[in-house]
Amino acid sequence: MSEVVAAAPADAGSPVMSIDEVGARAARIVQNVETVISGKREAVTSALTVLLAEGHLLIEDVPGVGKTMLAKALARSVDCTVSRIQFTPDLLPSDVTGVSVFDQASRRFEFKPGPVFANLVIGDEINRASPKTQSALLECMEEKQVTADGETYRLDHPFTVVATQNPVEMEGTYPLPEAQRDRFMARVSMGYPGPADELSMLSMRETSSPLETLEAVVTLQELRDMIAAVHHVFTSQPVKEYAVELARATRGDRQLRLGASPRATLQLVRAAKAHAAMHGRDFVLPDDVDALAVPVLGHRLVPTSRALGAHDRDSGPLVDAIVRRIVAETAVPVGSARRE
Amino acid sequence: MRADPTLATGQRAMPTVQRAMLAGATFLLVMVTTSALGTLIEGSGWWWLCAFIAACLVSVGLGLRALRTPPALVPLLQVGALILLLTLVFGGRSSFALIVPTGETFARFAELFAGAERTIQQQSVPAISVPPLLFALAVGVGAIVIVADALVQDARRPALAAIPVLVPIFIPGFLIEDGAEVIVLLFAGAAFLLLLRLDVRVRRRADLAHRDDDEDAPVVHAPRRVPIGSTIGATLGVGVAGLVAAAVLTASTPSISQSLLLGSDQSTTLFSRGVSPFIDLGRDLRRPDAVPAFTYTARDGDRPYFTLLTLDRFEGEVWGVTDRAVDSENTVDRMPRPIGLDPAVETAEHPVEVTVGDLRTVWLPVPYPTASVEDLRGSWFWDRESLTVRSVDASTAGQRYVANRLVATPTADQLRDADLLGSGQFQEYRALPDERPQIIRDTALAIAGGAQTPYDAAVAIQDHLRSSDFSYSVDAPVEEGYDGGGFDVIANFLEVKSGYCVHFASTMAVLAREVGIPSRISIGYTAGSPTDERVENVTVVEVDSHDLHAWPELFFPGVGWVPFEPTPGRGTVPSYTRPDAAQSPLSPFGPSTSTPQTGRPDLDPERGLSAGPGASAPDPVAAWTRVAALVIAALAIALAPALIRIGQRWSRRRRVRHGPGRAQAAWDEVRATARDLSAGGLETETPRAFAAHIAERPAFDGDAGAFLAELRNAVERERYGPPAPSGAAAGGEAGLSTDEILRAMHEVRAALGADAGASARLRARFLPASLIGRARGRARPTPAGA
Repeated sequence: MSEVVAAAPADAGSPVMSIDEVGARAARIVQNVETVISGKREAVTSALTVLLAEGHLLIEDVPGVGKTMLAKALARSVDCTVSRIQFTPDLLPSDVTGVSVFDQASRRFEFKPGPVFANLVIGDEINRASPKTQSALLECMEEKQVTADGETYRLDHPFTVVATQNPVEMEGTYPLPEAQRDRFMARVSMGYPGPADELSMLSMRETSSPLETLEAVVTLQELRDMIAAVHHVFTSQPVKEYAVELARATRGDRQLRLGASPRATLQLVRAAKAHAAMHGRDFVLPDDVDALAVPVLGHRLVPTSRALGAHDRDSGPLVDAIVRRIVAETAVPVGSARRE
Repeated sequence: MRADPTLATGQRAMPTVQRAMLAGATFLLVMVTTSALGTLIEGSGWWWLCAFIAACLVSVGLGLRALRTPPALVPLLQVGALILLLTLVFGGRSSFALIVPTGETFARFAELFAGAERTIQQQSVPAISVPPLLFALAVGVGAIVIVADALVQDARRPALAAIPVLVPIFIPGFLIEDGAEVIVLLFAGAAFLLLLRLDVRVRRRADLAHRDDDEDAPVVHAPRRVPIGSTIGATLGVGVAGLVAAAVLTASTPSISQSLLLGSDQSTTLFSRGVSPFIDLGRDLRRPDAVPAFTYTARDGDRPYFTLLTLDRFEGEVWGVTDRAVDSENTVDRMPRPIGLDPAVETAEHPVEVTVGDLRTVWLPVPYPTASVEDLRGSWFWDRESLTVRSVDASTAGQRYVANRLVATPTADQLRDADLLGSGQFQEYRALPDERPQIIRDTALAIAGGAQTPYDAAVAIQDHLRSSDFSYSVDAPVEEGYDGGGFDVIANFLEVKSGYCVHFASTMAVLAREVGIPSRISIGYTAGSPTDERVENVTVVEVDSHDLHAWPELFFPGVGWVPFEPTPGRGTVPSYTRPDAAQSPLSPFGPSTSTPQTGRPDLDPERGLSAGPGASAPDPVAAWTRVAALVIAALAIALAPALIRIGQRWSRRRRVRHGPGRAQAAWDEVRATARDLSAGGLETETPRAFAAHIAERPAFDGDAGAFLAELRNAVERERYGPPAPSGAAAGGEAGLSTDEILRAMHEVRAALGADAGASARLRARFLPASLIGRARGRARPTPAGA
């Protein structure tokens, strides 16, 4: 997609990194990740968008389509601390957050940080963990800090959780409750690869995993600068109104039992800012909102049982279709002309 | 992205079953709205004919579309089918193999069409469905069906089908106060909704059918949100268009004649409502040059008066005709015996052959009473009360006919013996308003106070008016300002004692009513003057405009309506009204003996030229003005969308030059152009989505694509970008200068146009779709500025 961007007005408190650089680096990250996962541009972009918007990502799909691969590739492309938690039913909250250990030498309790203390935390198969452990992680996600034995430990910046989960009908899972799904900024589905992509994957992985040769293309500081630049992306009043209108439409829709929360609106706009910055634009378009409506809103909505009807128990495709319909029906805001 | 799938994939994608459903709904809608004309037209035969025509045309359309005929050809072929159908129904023997029209058939069509024009002008409500009217109905319904069918099936704009079908609904509203019946309106609304509903179903089916790219994906069909604003706008637009069409149709039928009796214009009407026939009569009498009306030959030497119409209603101000609907049963080949004529009374039929020249009126000059009229062209009907004869679709001009005059021969004694006071009948012919000038009562008492019988009173009144006190003058009343037939006029006339037939007749009629004798006034012609010409040894008698006359008729039970002649110097005094001839047989206007053949007053050609010569010739200027006005109105309606669109474009260019919202204005114009050309441009599309949509077109491969991107970026930045730093150059916020925006707009529009076909461009110019809010999205109020 070619972008013709007029010179952005230089702002006094402008970030270190220009918006063009953000776009260029984002493109590099996407390209890098795609050497490992081909044909999943949309999922990769959404994941990076969430990273830049300081949100958390939920990757939901059947086993073996590359959920963990995407999370790992993203982590490796950015030179940041990465940890991985494999959720199992017997995993304890302290296995996630860390544990205070009595140090014989100093005769006092010492906090051993858990895997959550990293810039990018990969939570594999989060729905296999017990609800107690799940909520421990989710609390960290929301607070961006860990409290243990009265001490509060701040998590590193940026902090992003990339959780994967299998669809709910799979055996031995504890589905995330709606309230907890709401903590994730976006949900993406990988979907099966196309025949050509699957074929190339076969030849690529014949000898070794390409993941191991993946090099970081962005340093941690650069990632922080990119995030700072995203903060400066301008969101006009009509676009904000558009986001609010979309959220309101989900609340009033007769096929939905639960609509989007105000947090969803907030995260939608944040994600849209990141999306705009990734495309080298210093302002948000309704198109950014449109592009993210399904990943950002989809997992928060609950369809009515009547609408669910023939869709069995997997509401995902139905909800996505409803969101697409609402987006198509909601008029594009036209900003009033500004005085010159 | 959201194009109409039934259109996008071609017309032929729609299965015939669905087409048939739509066609059925169209037929139903047209026939329901056509039945709104039921308040205007008598009987129901006409409706079945219309239904036949409509059903045939709809079936033809269905068949042609099933055979994959190009959509543009279907209406043309339907017109052809309509002509064949018309030939079948109206062609008669002129057609070849029943349905193939010949030159003669078209001549017949032209005749029917002219007759239809006349019948629309002449008939009152409810009209009789004479052949010309049926022809007009068939043509009209055929046209409506063809237009509606094309709108529903090919244009896929069923909402617009309301415009043609509204015409029959609105016409009654313009002609009669009540308008169409509520029940018809309800059914028409229901039929319209049914059509829209079927259309939605067809569209959804098409939606489903064309979702082949991801078949497994769930399909969500939520109720479509229809923008309320644009729906109301479209409804109003449709209503207004229908109203205008009906108004133009109604206005194109003139209704006020210039002279009722002479029919000096083609546009004659049944009753010139609001214009007193008396005034017309006086004006015609004052013409310096007599205009020939008709000639007649009577084998039996009859010299009858010819009645055109009869005034039976008197309301104090004016004499008028009781408005009775024409009864289609009352054809002139057999007319009843006059009311009041005792069956025992001996009668004889005397044929009178009449040849009408230029006289153009819907009233046929016939002697009273007449038993039958033969050899007339057109549809003529008699009135049950007055036995006057009028046409609903023809005029008297050029007619040759034979009126079989009924000559009754009762004795005058019967008049004297008529038990008038005892009978309660004919109250309405005795009615007089309560407030009448004293002089009328006094005069009636003075003249008829001593009369033994009503007959004697009538004779006394006639004698009084014929006495030397009264003088005949067609000009005096006009000069004195009491022309007409009302109470004030009669009171004046009784004072001044000068006037013409109108005054004598109305005075006698009022005085007769005053003494209790039912009376009415007949308007027509006196017997005329014989010429030297003879046909088969019978003298030809000529009647002209100076023979126009008004005379009173009084009712005597057993005898019926009996004419009197109170006007001095005019006509012939009926023999039975002369006391010395009281015993002679009743022969009102038989061969005259003592009085002159014609009592035509001497007229000074230099005086009283109120009507110019040659007024009987049709006025070509008026006709042309009407045609021109119609053409201008039609053009204005046809060009209105194009003009509005041009105005819109002009104002957007202005906004591009002067702001605010330069890029937005240019973008609006581009989007409207795309919409006109059916190239997208929906409300819910973002600039980016719209640009991506149209950039797929081949015309945007080169520079136009770059211009499109430039313009898109400009409008995005203007709409959603951060505010421009103060001191930026004008247009800086959009990133493009005014000229650049205009250039980009021009290039993009040109590319859109180049990409579209010639017919699409033509439609975009004259029927710009962007003027009709077809957007599915909501028309939200513009949010406050950033």
